[in-house]
Amino acid sequence: MEYEIKSAGDYTIIALSGEVDLYYSPKAREQILAHLNKKSNVLIDLSGVSYIDSSGVASLVEGYQLARNNKSRFGLVGVSDAAMQVLQLARLDKVFPIFQNVDEAINA
Amino acid sequence: MNGGIQVERLTPKDLPAPPQAALKIVRACSNPNIHHDALSQLAASDPLLTAELLRVVNSPYFGLSREIQSIPRAVNVLGQRVLRNLALCVSVRDALKSDAIPGFDIASFWEEAIRRAVAARLLGEMLKDNGDNYFTAGLLQDFGLLIMFFLAPEAAPLWADMRAMDPDTRYGKELGEFQTTHDQIGRKLGQTWSLPADLTEAIGSHHACSADSPQLAKALLCADWMAAVYSANEKGAVLDKCRFWLADYFDIDGDAANALLAQMPHSVKEAADALGLGIEEQQDFEEIMREANLRLVEANLSYQELTWRLQQTLKERDELQSELNRELELAREIQQSLLPKSTEPGQAVYGINLSARQLSGDFYDCFALPDGRLYFNLGDVSGKGVNAALLMAKTSSLFRCLGKRINDPSQLLTVLNDELCETSTRGMFVTLCAGLYNPKTKEVIMVNAGHMPAVVHGADGKFGKLEASGPPLGVMANMTYPAKKFSIDGSSLYLFSDGVTEGHKANGEEMGFKGLLNLLRQVADLSPQDRLDRIAREFTSGDVPLRDDLTLVVVDGCAQTK
Repeated sequence: MEYEIKSAGDYTIIALSGEVDLYYSPKAREQILAHLNKKSNVLIDLSGVSYIDSSGVASLVEGYQLARNNKSRFGLVGVSDAAMQVLQLARLDKVFPIFQNVDEAINA
Repeated sequence: MNGGIQVERLTPKDLPAPPQAALKIVRACSNPNIHHDALSQLAASDPLLTAELLRVVNSPYFGLSREIQSIPRAVNVLGQRVLRNLALCVSVRDALKSDAIPGFDIASFWEEAIRRAVAARLLGEMLKDNGDNYFTAGLLQDFGLLIMFFLAPEAAPLWADMRAMDPDTRYGKELGEFQTTHDQIGRKLGQTWSLPADLTEAIGSHHACSADSPQLAKALLCADWMAAVYSANEKGAVLDKCRFWLADYFDIDGDAANALLAQMPHSVKEAADALGLGIEEQQDFEEIMREANLRLVEANLSYQELTWRLQQTLKERDELQSELNRELELAREIQQSLLPKSTEPGQAVYGINLSARQLSGDFYDCFALPDGRLYFNLGDVSGKGVNAALLMAKTSSLFRCLGKRINDPSQLLTVLNDELCETSTRGMFVTLCAGLYNPKTKEVIMVNAGHMPAVVHGADGKFGKLEASGPPLGVMANMTYPAKKFSIDGSSLYLFSDGVTEGHKANGEEMGFKGLLNLLRQVADLSPQDRLDRIAREFTSGDVPLRDDLTLVVVDGCAQTK
């Protein structure tokens, strides 16, 4: 798994790519929580994610919950087919705010 | 040192100049045919030198009964060679004044030099050779080192450490600091000062000895180590090496070596006095031995202590490990007790749970309501280990508790979800399939909170899937979980964790969803319990350890109602 931090509008964008599995998801979690704890609005770009397991999903869920507590915004953008399948299977696509791209999220 | 000292480029002007009168005596005494008158004339030309030589000759070192008052007389009594050596010693002693090298304690160098000289003389005497020659050679053997500091005075601060090194280590240090060594400089000096050839050769080669080397060179090597017994920090190791060389070159055994070494302090004092060189109080050999032994004991002690601590630590680790294992075993027992007990034949719901670790993040349950309907569920907690097991216990208990009051699976999940959200931690969540089965009507009311699809294997052999109707529990409150109602008459309903579809079979292949369906087809004719056992064997018969917890529940729509 690789990650890249960018910013757009008032969002911090964490772009994850590769396999977000039990081994790598702690790194993703660390980044997500670190930025949310800075009270940033966070978008997770999942366009490069080829595989995500339940630990990866758990990191997203934790980010989502923390953002709600912090009253900051949190969403997913460019969700890859592989990631979307997992989210849909668990019906989490109904939970996370999901955007086609960053612009859509900023204008939402 | 910039570039080091280049021995081949050294000229006489670079080297300290010895007192010329003393050198003349050295050369004169080297000539066997020298006439006494010539020697007297030489001595008379430098009254100071004459007085100094006579002082040395009359010192207790030579133990003469009558005082000698002239150089020719000294030659008569002691021999030409002794006088030559004396003059040589005085030459080198006076070649460098005590303040010639700023920051360098020349007196301490001479102390070491005298120690080597004495060691060499004792060896020479033991070898029935001319001890006086050996003394002179010993005094001169490391004179090159002093010259190196003279040529590179900025290195002076190194001396204090180098003095306490063993000869080999110090030799390596010289090479590193000066790019040359004292034996090479010593050889050059001997040539420049026209010292006797055998002496120059022994000085130049005492660090490159072999069994065939001249006896004097071998003796100088041994003298180096004998002196180091008194000066080096690592006395024990030096003592061993010293005994080794003495035995190897001269067949001197341990006791004889000790006897030689024990004579040194007294002789050093005597020789230093004779040469007018002040030295510090000498440690006697017994003290040296005690120090060496003490170090040996300390080294042994610290080794034993280290071993002991290691054993203690390993023991503590094992104790902690077994304590932890006992705790985990208890936790496992409690967890297993949360799973339904195996029930009597003819029941409708069966399940198995195999955990990859001691504690499982999966669970299943089944319990009957007073009206005969059966609640069943299968859940998977995100994450693994103790925290997953605790959330599993909480969810399973809540389900059981709520299930006895809420006979509507949809409503039950909504309440359960809110409860878990209220106390959720660290993004942990639970995916759960649950249902209420009426054995009389064979009707199932099912909900799926973010879990793998449940599978119905119909009487016609066809499969149906029941996908999640809501997100996992513990993610977001106020969720609804729409239920599906259907009959499983003659069919089987399977719930399973992702450990089943993502599990690896004995041949290493992943089971996959299709693989599972194939397997269900193959085992369809077996009893429900046998089907579960057969499926479990797919994952446990090989050497591959379970990677994930593996849980499977079957609701048997064929079972006859009691």
